[in-house]
Amino acid sequence: MWIFRGLRKGVVTTRWPAHPDPYADATRGPATLTTLTAGPGHAGPSGGDLAALCPTGAIRADGGVRLDQGRCIQCGRCVEARPDLFAWAAGPATAVTARGALVVPDTGEPGAERLADTRAALRRRTRALRRSVHIRHVDAGSDGADEWEILALLNPVYDVHRLGVFFTASPRHADILLVTGAGARGMTEPLRRTYDGMPDPRVVIAAGTDATGGGLHADSYATTGGITTAVPVDVWVPGSPPTPFALLHAILLATGRLPAAPAVRRSTP
Amino acid sequence: MTHTEPRTDTATLWDGPLARVAAGDRFAGLSATAEPGGLTLTAHLAVPGDIIAADVHLPGPPSAYPALTPRLGAAFWYEREIHDLFGIVPAGHPRLEPLVLPLLNGERRRPRPGAAGEPGRLDPDEHALPRHVHGTGVFTIPHGPVRSGVFESVEYLVETPGEDIPHLNIRVFYKHRGVEKRFEGRAAGDAVLLAERVEGIASVAHALAFAHACEHATGSEPPYAARLLRVAHAELERLANHLDVAMKLADAAGLAVATARFGLHKERVLRLAGRMSGSRFGRGVVVPGGVRALPSLRAAEIRAELDRLAAGIPADEDALLATASFLDRLRGTGPLMPERARAHGALGPVGRASGAGEDARAARPYDAYTELGAPAPGGWDDGDTLARLRVRCAETRYALAAVRRALDDLDDLGVDPPLRAPCAPEDGRAIGWAEAPQGELVYDVRFAAGRITRCRVRSASFHNLPLFHEVFAGDILTDFPFIEAGFGLSIAGAAG
Amino acid sequence: MNTVFLAGLALLALAAAVDLLLGGAYARLRGLPYLLGTAASACLLAAGAGRLAGHPAAIGLGDVPPLGAAGLAIDPLSALFLVIAFGAAVGVSPAFASRARRPGHPVRRGLGAAYALTLGATAVIVTARDIFTFLFAWEALTVAFYLLTGHERHRAGRAPAALGTLAFGKISGAALLLGMLLLAATAHRFSLAAFAAVPPGAVRAAAYALLVLGFATKIGLVPVHVWLPRGYAAAPGPARALMGGVAVNVGFYGLWRTLDLLGPPPAWLVIVVLVLAAVTAVLGIAHAAVQTDLHRVIAYSSVENAGLILAGFGVAATGMLTGERPLLAVGLLAATLQVAAHAAAKSLLFTTASGIEDAGGTSDLDRLRGAARRAPYSGTGFTIGALTLAGLPITAGFVSEWFILESLMQQFRVPGLAFRLTLALTGAAVALTAGFAGVTFVRLVGLVVLGPAPRTPPPAPDYRPAGRAGIIWLSAACLGIAAAAPLAIRLIAAGLAPIVPAATTESALKSPWVLQPVYADFSILSPSWLWVAMPALLALTIAATWLASGSRMWRVRRVPAWRSATAGVEGTDEYTAFGYANPTRRVLANVLHTRTDLHEHPGQAPAALHYTSDVIEIVEDYLYRPFIRPVRATVRTAKRLQSGRLDAYLAYMLIALIAVLALITATG
Repeated sequence: MWIFRGLRKGVVTTRWPAHPDPYADATRGPATLTTLTAGPGHAGPSGGDLAALCPTGAIRADGGVRLDQGRCIQCGRCVEARPDLFAWAAGPATAVTARGALVVPDTGEPGAERLADTRAALRRRTRALRRSVHIRHVDAGSDGADEWEILALLNPVYDVHRLGVFFTASPRHADILLVTGAGARGMTEPLRRTYDGMPDPRVVIAAGTDATGGGLHADSYATTGGITTAVPVDVWVPGSPPTPFALLHAILLATGRLPAAPAVRRSTP
Repeated sequence: MTHTEPRTDTATLWDGPLARVAAGDRFAGLSATAEPGGLTLTAHLAVPGDIIAADVHLPGPPSAYPALTPRLGAAFWYEREIHDLFGIVPAGHPRLEPLVLPLLNGERRRPRPGAAGEPGRLDPDEHALPRHVHGTGVFTIPHGPVRSGVFESVEYLVETPGEDIPHLNIRVFYKHRGVEKRFEGRAAGDAVLLAERVEGIASVAHALAFAHACEHATGSEPPYAARLLRVAHAELERLANHLDVAMKLADAAGLAVATARFGLHKERVLRLAGRMSGSRFGRGVVVPGGVRALPSLRAAEIRAELDRLAAGIPADEDALLATASFLDRLRGTGPLMPERARAHGALGPVGRASGAGEDARAARPYDAYTELGAPAPGGWDDGDTLARLRVRCAETRYALAAVRRALDDLDDLGVDPPLRAPCAPEDGRAIGWAEAPQGELVYDVRFAAGRITRCRVRSASFHNLPLFHEVFAGDILTDFPFIEAGFGLSIAGAAG
Repeated sequence: MNTVFLAGLALLALAAAVDLLLGGAYARLRGLPYLLGTAASACLLAAGAGRLAGHPAAIGLGDVPPLGAAGLAIDPLSALFLVIAFGAAVGVSPAFASRARRPGHPVRRGLGAAYALTLGATAVIVTARDIFTFLFAWEALTVAFYLLTGHERHRAGRAPAALGTLAFGKISGAALLLGMLLLAATAHRFSLAAFAAVPPGAVRAAAYALLVLGFATKIGLVPVHVWLPRGYAAAPGPARALMGGVAVNVGFYGLWRTLDLLGPPPAWLVIVVLVLAAVTAVLGIAHAAVQTDLHRVIAYSSVENAGLILAGFGVAATGMLTGERPLLAVGLLAATLQVAAHAAAKSLLFTTASGIEDAGGTSDLDRLRGAARRAPYSGTGFTIGALTLAGLPITAGFVSEWFILESLMQQFRVPGLAFRLTLALTGAAVALTAGFAGVTFVRLVGLVVLGPAPRTPPPAPDYRPAGRAGIIWLSAACLGIAAAAPLAIRLIAAGLAPIVPAATTESALKSPWVLQPVYADFSILSPSWLWVAMPALLALTIAATWLASGSRMWRVRRVPAWRSATAGVEGTDEYTAFGYANPTRRVLANVLHTRTDLHEHPGQAPAALHYTSDVIEIVEDYLYRPFIRPVRATVRTAKRLQSGRLDAYLAYMLIALIAVLALITATG
């Protein structure tokens, strides 16, 4: 009975990334700057006010406006108040392979050579399996929404199995550690135990703004402000929470099936 | 709301709240607030049409007080939480083990919400908790904190002699984020963002409960358009949550197609919310005093999407409730007796499936529920996982209809209706509530000079999760995923 | 052969004498009675083997007028059971010797004598040619069992267990006495061979049933099995192996001999035996699966095996009754193979379980996790014994259980719905039993042998070299019977010759190395080839893995076992032996009457819950318990007669004499 119900629906699965997906391109990413060439002095006289726009302190305006997407919780205050300066980044390509690359304009921090090696090693190992990878997810103090977006990857719309991506219960079988949450201190040790239980090579993805920078929970008595202090992160995905497309992009990026994030980040027209 | 007078006579400390509970009011939580002159214990009570706080003040730096739990079982977890956060001992509490903080003993490093300043950093003490069940061959299966699958971090200690689950112990402290403390020092406009992230899957409901507290404090009344939009988003959120429960139950039963179908429906609901507000979880919609903006999607498109959902969801729910192999796994699984549910004041669908679970939308209507009407009570009292699913299926139908009616009413209001009333609480204290998909939320917020000095968040998940201790009688290990999914709780909300 | 046989009996007498005279006086000589017993067992084994090879033996005890000639004789059937019983005894005896010399464990006088008495009685029972010798030896065995089970009577539960063993031994003896007297009264002779002349009728049927009851009590058939688990568990160390692996075979011998002498049993008796066999197998394995004590698991497995063997016996009886000779052959062959496999494996299991108990300091399964790792010989032997009783390939148990199932599948060849239905139901029960046997022994091996090694040093070392030799002997038997199955079948066929011609039984050999269930073109099996194929497959797998991964196969990074990243729990976080059996407890709740209870511990802080779960021996509870009270009352009343005064006893005797005379006068 259920089989017929399923068949009646036809194919609902996206063909991204092989083919563009309109919903994916329209998804809202973190805030970004309208002009990526913003130089010193561009912010004008209201520098302090600009910084105060952001509840997580992602905006710095001393000597030029800088926005740290790794701390952006997508509240939209800045976009609402100063549409001349700020806009939404769009599309799923939000993940980066170096923490510094989340800051716009790019600080030019050195790229992640370590990740390049890891990606190469992972590519070698999964070559025989057509680059199929297994993911172990760990919640290190998320608000619960990130888990929903990860689970969405398994629904028929995203169906990551078509890309050879699987979730596994045991870290013993995992290639990728997908960590969400603001780094609750109670989870530091369990997270480390999970990481230790994985075979080499292993890639760690910090999924969501809470994981990349702590978001609103940054560095309190109970959280470490992101997971970077607990495990070595390879791929950063901002978003509160990151959309399933953004997560999928990060996974494909981690396994070397997509090129690293483009240098220029598009903004909505 | 009313506040009872502070009292210091410890022998009769709880006589007032207990008398009210005996008279029929529902115990809705217990919390504490650190104050310069000592500590205030607050029992929240749901009375007809309102939620009130009964305060008792303990002067000086108190080290103990007579526990409420022996006289009112529902306070069991609350007093453990108070012990964890403040280091104060509820004397006579039956089992004072760490609950929300991984700290075994010592007065050091207690965060003490309400007290000024940032507490010292938490240094987790990973000592094993005492086992609760003793007897022949009993051993513990730790489910978590890193669970088998994509779950929030929590550790269920299944104390079992194999197969049976006589008792379940829970460690929720792994993902404690100290949210209540994070509210302190923020203005209402910023704090609502934090409220949205207390329980990410119930962002709208939390924002609403918080906004209601702010509005109660200032007396401001959101415009009708805002109230309609709030209901629309709250019901979309409820829809997504209930579909998630149905999906997880179908998954536990191994119904692959049903799992995919409900996953698809849920994705569509999230996409609709996302296209209306920019956030798939409706974040940023609710602001104290109203809503931020009108939907960014044209009404016709929303209606078309609602039509699609209405064509698919009820039919699939009916099919699910007619699948015999599925019903067999749910019927009689995880039973919660009505007496027990009422004594505990079980909330939300879990309570409603056991003949309790007052619906805040009906009992204390807020926003446009006053005009649109609340869902009719279903009258279920089987108390098993199947009854919980039936309650949710009835609520999804109400949600589909309510979103549509809210949008219809919104259309009638013209092109550019007012969306916000001024609301910037300066001083004082107010209680707000909302019915989240998991059950009733209570926010008790104190302001001073425009900043929050204490924000008590009482989530339905925290209130309902202790019932997990008791619903496994007679069930076996393979029933666990059904019972967990059927409860549909959020650990983020329980761990704080 | 007479000399060898008599030498065996003489050595046993010497062993008993040495034990009674020296006791445990000289540490070096403590093992002597058992070493003498080993030699005696070897002699008796040789006597049996020699008879099967064609050297007859008979020992006359002279005529006892007016009762006729009494004596011992080894015919092929006796020889077969001598081989089985004393083949096992050869392995068990050195274990006794080894354990007797454990330092710090004083040996009480009497165990050696009881041991020698058991072996001697066993040898006499299987060779007795007349009622008196037989019954005398049978009673001697009952006394020996009582002495063995009561040897440690100061320990909890031992004394009642010994009493139960004695009581059921007496019931068994009484049934045999009554049955044999009935037959002798009709045949007018006391020689066993004369029973064949008893004409069919009510007397013969009643005697048949009484004999089956008497022998069934010894092997633990439901409902006369209740003494067995407790009695076996009460015996000290390898004495369990002596009872459960060696002496138990006299019960099977008795049944075989009954079939030999009395021929076709009454039809109703065959049905009853088959049904009871099915019930016994299921009930035995159900209890074995859930017991929490190591020895009781193994003891209940004896009950299960009694069921399996009697299922084969029932098939044979059906074949004899219906004149279907191949069916008689396959049933008897299957049952005999199972008797042999059971004798070897049960002796091995009880012997090694005793070593494991010493190494773990307890017989509580929950506290024996990994205990076998500290006693490598016992552990290995235990594994082999467990695999054999679980009926897994390359062991003798696999061959014998295959034959039992195959024999039951021949039900379509039998006329009559009642037989077909009973055989089919018994077949289903045996299949179910085989499944649960797997669960039972996986639990033992998985937890006791493969569990993580305990960190504390063992309280006692493993067996000494003598015991190890015994373990190796028995292990070799468990495996060898399978590897050389055709040879075993030829031996058994020779032994069964008095009942069914050897040629018929040997039809079980399709070709020299391939077996079939006597009937051709039904199914085939070659355990010998399995011995070649299975190790070859294993080697192939390892080789393939090595080829695919090269040297990486051995490069392993070790991290703690994945426990969901938990910080740890109080107490055990691994499946306990009790927990592993709990699904069985639930599934078989109707058979076991599982009762669980969860209650608050009163007055304990922090509050704790107490969980209990228990299973009930339904036969004991519903069949025997109601009678215990009236029996006790009767005994109390009867005690009044025991005044202790001589004149009273003389008066009783006078009354009895007058009564007998009156009876004779009246009937004469």
